[in-house]
Amino acid sequence: MGFGKYVGARVLWAVVVSLIITTITFLLLAAAPNPAIREAATQAALQGGDPSAAVERERELRGLNQPLYVRYADFIRSVYTLDWGWSESRSQPVTEALLQALYYTAQYSIPWTVLTITVGPLVGVYSAANMYSWRDHVATGFAFFGYAIPNFFFGIILLLIFGVWFEVVPISYDTSVPVFSVQNVRQLILPVFVLVTGSIGATMRVSRNESAEFQNSEFMKTAKAKGVSPLRSYAYHVMRPTLVPLSTTLVGQLLALFIGSSLLVEVVFGIPGLGRLTFNALLSQDTNLVLGSTLVFTFIAVVGNLLEDLVFTVLDPRINYDDR
Amino acid sequence: MASKKPEQFDRVDWSELSESSRFDLSINSIGMLAATLPLALLWLYDYQFVGERGATFQAIGLGRNLDPLDYFFVFTLFLFFFYLVLPLYQNPRMTRYYWAEFRRNRPAVVSLGWLGVVFVGGLLGPLVISAPEQSILTGHQPPMFLSINEANVATCVGDVVNGQCQGTWQHPLGTTRGGKDVFAGVVYGMTISMQIAFITTTIVAAIGITFGTVSAYAGGWVDEIMMRFVDVILSFPTFLMFLLILYIYGAGLGMFILVFSAFAWGGTARYVRSKSLSVSEEEFIKATRISGASTYRVVRKHVVPNVASSIITQLTLLIPGFLLAEAQLAFLGIGDSAVPSWGQLLSAGRSDLAFAPWIVLSPGIVLFLTILAFNFIGDALLDALNPEAEAESA
Amino acid sequence: MSTPLLEVEDLTTTFSTAKGALTAVDGIDFAVAEGETVCIVGESGSGKTVATESVTRIVKEPPGRVEGSVRFKGRDLLEMSEPELREIRGYEIAHIFQNPQEAMNHCYTVGWQIVEALQIHRDVADETARAKAIDLMDRVGIANASSRFDDYPHEFSGGQKQRVMIAMALVGDPDLLIADEPTTALDVTVQAQILRLLEDLQAEFDMGILFVTHDLGVVAEIADRIVVMYAGNVMERGDVLDIFERPAHPYTQRLLNCLPEIGGRKGGIPGTLPDPLDPPDGCRFAPRCEHAVDACVTGDQPAEIEVNPGQRASCVHYRPGRDDSVVRDGIPDADADGEGVSSADD
Repeated sequence: MGFGKYVGARVLWAVVVSLIITTITFLLLAAAPNPAIREAATQAALQGGDPSAAVERERELRGLNQPLYVRYADFIRSVYTLDWGWSESRSQPVTEALLQALYYTAQYSIPWTVLTITVGPLVGVYSAANMYSWRDHVATGFAFFGYAIPNFFFGIILLLIFGVWFEVVPISYDTSVPVFSVQNVRQLILPVFVLVTGSIGATMRVSRNESAEFQNSEFMKTAKAKGVSPLRSYAYHVMRPTLVPLSTTLVGQLLALFIGSSLLVEVVFGIPGLGRLTFNALLSQDTNLVLGSTLVFTFIAVVGNLLEDLVFTVLDPRINYDDR
Repeated sequence: MASKKPEQFDRVDWSELSESSRFDLSINSIGMLAATLPLALLWLYDYQFVGERGATFQAIGLGRNLDPLDYFFVFTLFLFFFYLVLPLYQNPRMTRYYWAEFRRNRPAVVSLGWLGVVFVGGLLGPLVISAPEQSILTGHQPPMFLSINEANVATCVGDVVNGQCQGTWQHPLGTTRGGKDVFAGVVYGMTISMQIAFITTTIVAAIGITFGTVSAYAGGWVDEIMMRFVDVILSFPTFLMFLLILYIYGAGLGMFILVFSAFAWGGTARYVRSKSLSVSEEEFIKATRISGASTYRVVRKHVVPNVASSIITQLTLLIPGFLLAEAQLAFLGIGDSAVPSWGQLLSAGRSDLAFAPWIVLSPGIVLFLTILAFNFIGDALLDALNPEAEAESA
Repeated sequence: MSTPLLEVEDLTTTFSTAKGALTAVDGIDFAVAEGETVCIVGESGSGKTVATESVTRIVKEPPGRVEGSVRFKGRDLLEMSEPELREIRGYEIAHIFQNPQEAMNHCYTVGWQIVEALQIHRDVADETARAKAIDLMDRVGIANASSRFDDYPHEFSGGQKQRVMIAMALVGDPDLLIADEPTTALDVTVQAQILRLLEDLQAEFDMGILFVTHDLGVVAEIADRIVVMYAGNVMERGDVLDIFERPAHPYTQRLLNCLPEIGGRKGGIPGTLPDPLDPPDGCRFAPRCEHAVDACVTGDQPAEIEVNPGQRASCVHYRPGRDDSVVRDGIPDADADGEGVSSADD
C-alpha cells in the first residue's frame, strides 16, 4: 500500500536535506579566503616573487578561477562520489582516514547505543510502574544527574578517580589491543559509561512519562480483565506503545550527543575516533579533512533523522501515509 | 480525581492573562520604551563618538567598555523584566497560583534559588570583583580550608604548615596555574552564561513565534515550504556547522550565540504553528475575526497568551544545551579564548587535575548545578502546565 | 429463579487518596443467576463501575481496597490469589467496557488481541487460535472476519470495536459477562444492534450478564432484574417490571422521571451527588429528596425493606408503622407508560 511510496518520499527528502546542508557548507567555504592562497602569496613575497602572480597560479591550481556554478557542480559531484581529496596532515586520502577513525568510534558507540536503547526504556517503564516509590526517585535522580553533568567533565573526574587514583583503568588509550579483549573493555568502560549516563537520562524520562499514561489506560484495564499477568501487560501493552513517542526523541537525543559529546569524550579519553580526527584536523588546518568529517557527521545526522521517521511509522500503526 | 485542578488552572490562566494584558500592555510597553531609549542613545554615543577601542564611560572615568553583546544583553534583561517579571507582579492572583503550584516541587524551588544566585552574581559580580588576572608567582594556590604540597606552588599566599600551603580568603576557591583567581573566574563565567541564556532565548522566541504564526496564517504552499524549512533547521548539525564556521572565519561569543540560536527555534516554531492553528479554529477566535480583528491582534491577544507558558518551558529546557555547547567549545580550546567562561577555566585546569583538582571542580560543579537547575525548573514547569500528570500522584 | 451464579455480599471498595479514604462502594449486595441479566443503574459517579470492577478485582489495588465477599460458582473471588483470579478473568468472567475506542491497544491488530485473550488461558496452537478468533468475530457480526483479523483497531468503527471486544470476551465461553455501559459511547442505532447481539449471545452461550448503565431505556430493553445504586449504596432492587411500574424509592422515581418516553418532567434531578469523601449521614439521597424527613438524615443508609414481593427499597418511609403513601403517591405517571416495559419481558 502506501508504505513503499512513503519510504521513497522520506528517502528523497533526506537526500534533499543533505544537499541543502552540503550546499551551505560549500557556500561557507567559497565565501572565505582560502588559507592556502594566502600562504602562497606570502611564500612568493618572501622569495621575492610576484605575490599576485602566485595567487593567480594557486587559484588556477585549485580551480578557484572557474565560475561559482562550475565549482559548485564539481564540489557536489565529488561529495557524492566520495572523492573527498587528500588529507595533508595525515598523508592519506580523507575517506581512508575517516574509515580508520570510524573503526574506533564504532567500538564505543555501538555498546553505548545498545545500552541506551535497551536499559533506558526498561528502567523508565519500571520507574513508572513504581511511580513515587524510592526506586522511582533514585532512577529519576540518576536521570537528572546524567542529563545535567557535562560529559567531558564527568569523564575527566572518572578518569582521575579510576585511572589516576585507583589505577583500575588505563589512562591512555591503546590502539593495539584486540577489539574483543578484556583490555579493550577496560579502556572503553569509562567512555561508554559516561555516554550512557548522558543519554539514558532523557530516554528514561520520556519512557517513564509516556508509559505512565499508558499504564493507566483503558486498554490496560482490558488486559487485566482478560487475565493478562502484570509482567506480560507491561512487556506488551505498556512497552510497545511507549516505543512510539520514544522513537521520536531517541534518535535525536543520541545524535546530538554523538555529534557534540563524542568529540569531547574522544578528546578526554584519547580515543582516535571521528571526533578526535575532526578536532585534530581543525588544529592542523587540514581543510579537506575538516570538510570530510563535517560531511560524515552530517550524513549520520540525516540518516539518523530518516531512520527516526521510518521507525516511527513502522511502530505506530495509526499513521496515515498520505498525511505527510 | 484530577478534575479539579485543570479547571482551576484554566480559569486562572487565560481569562486573567488576556483580560489584564489588554489593560497593562501599554504600561509594560511604555516602561520598555523608556528603558530602551537611553540604552539606544548610549549605544549610539558609544558607536559614534567613543570608537571601538575606547571604553564607553571613559568620559566619566570608568574603564568598562560595552560591546554590542552587552547592549543586547541589557536589552533582553529589560524584555525579561517588563514582559515576564512585571506581569507577574501585575497579576498577583495568577502569580500566587503559579507559585503555589511551583512550590510543591522542592528541587525546582532550590534550583530557582541557585539560578537567582547565578543571575545576581553574573549581573553584579563583575562590578564588585575585579577580573581574574594573570600572576604567575601565585599559581596553584589551594582553596580555603584545603592545602597543597609546597613544592607545587611558587609562592604561598597563605601560611605554610608542615610543608603544606594553606588556602586563604584572598583566593577562596584557589588559583589556576597562571595565578588567576578561580572564584573570580567562576563569577565572570556567570555573566557569560547569563548572556548566553538571555540572548539566545530572546532570539529563539522571536524567530520561533514569528515564523510559527506567519506559517500558520499564510497556509497553503507558503506554510508547506516554511515547515519544510523547519525540518531542515531541526536536522541541522549545529555544533558541527559552528565548528566549520569557527574554522573558516573564527568566531567569538557573539557568533556562537547567533549560530546556535539561529538553529534552535525549529521546535518553537512548530509548536506555535500548531497552537495558532488550533486556536484559530476555536469559535471565539472566529467570532473576533468576523468582527474585524486583525491577524496581529488575534495573535497578540489569543495565540501568544496561549503558547507563552509552553514556550517559556521549551526555552528553559533549551538553555542547558547552549551552556553545554559553549563549555565544550571552550574546553576544546577552539572557542574565543578571550571569553572568561566556565569551559575556559575547565580547560585551563585540566592538565593540573591530579594535584590541583579545584580548578576543574569549581567551574565544573557550578556548570553542572546550573544545567541541573534549568532542567529541574523546566520539568516543574512541564508539570505545572500539565496538572493531570501531577494529579496522578495525589 | 435458578441458582445464583454470582453472589455479592457486603462489597465495600475504598480508595486511599491524598484527602483521605474515599468509599466508592459502601457495602452492597447483589446476585446474578445463570442466564439472567441484572442491570445496575444510577447516575454517573454512583459507584456502579467500581462495584463491577471489584467483582474480579480489576480495580486498581492500591489505591483501591476491596472487602466483603464475592461468591462465583461457590468460590469466594476475594479470597483467591492473584494467579487464581487471572484464570477466571477473561475466561469464566469476561468484561466489556464503556469506551471501545480506548479499550483496545492501538499497537496490535484486533486478531492479535483476541488470540492473546485465548492463549493466556489455554495452550492453543496459533492456527487453532486464529481460526477460533475468526469464528468469534464472525459470530459477533463482523463482515469478512478472516480478512479483518489483521486490521488495527483504528480501522474499525466504534460499533465494530465493541463487537470485537465482545468477541474477545467470548473466547472462554464465559458464564458471566460484565458489561460496563457498553453502548453509551455509541450511536443510537448501533446501540440497539449491540444490545440485540448481547441478547442473542446470552441465549447462545447461556451467560449471566451484569449490565451497568445509567440509561433506563437500555435497562428496559435488556434487564431481568434491576439494582438501583446511588452514592455507593443500593437504593432499590427488584424485577424490571415491578420497578418500572411501581418505583418505590424516591430516587428511582426521579430517575424514571427523567426518561422522556415515560412522559415525565424533562431535566435531571436537582442537586448533585454527595462528596464521596464525606458522605452525608442517613440516606445518601436525603439532601436531594423532596420527601426527606428527620429520620432520613440520621444513622446510616436505611436497611432495605420489602415493599412488594421481590422488590426492596432502602427508604425510611417504608419502615413498619410509617405512612408510606407519601412516597407511594409520589410515583410519577408511571402507570401511563407501557412501551419501555413491554420490550423487557420478551
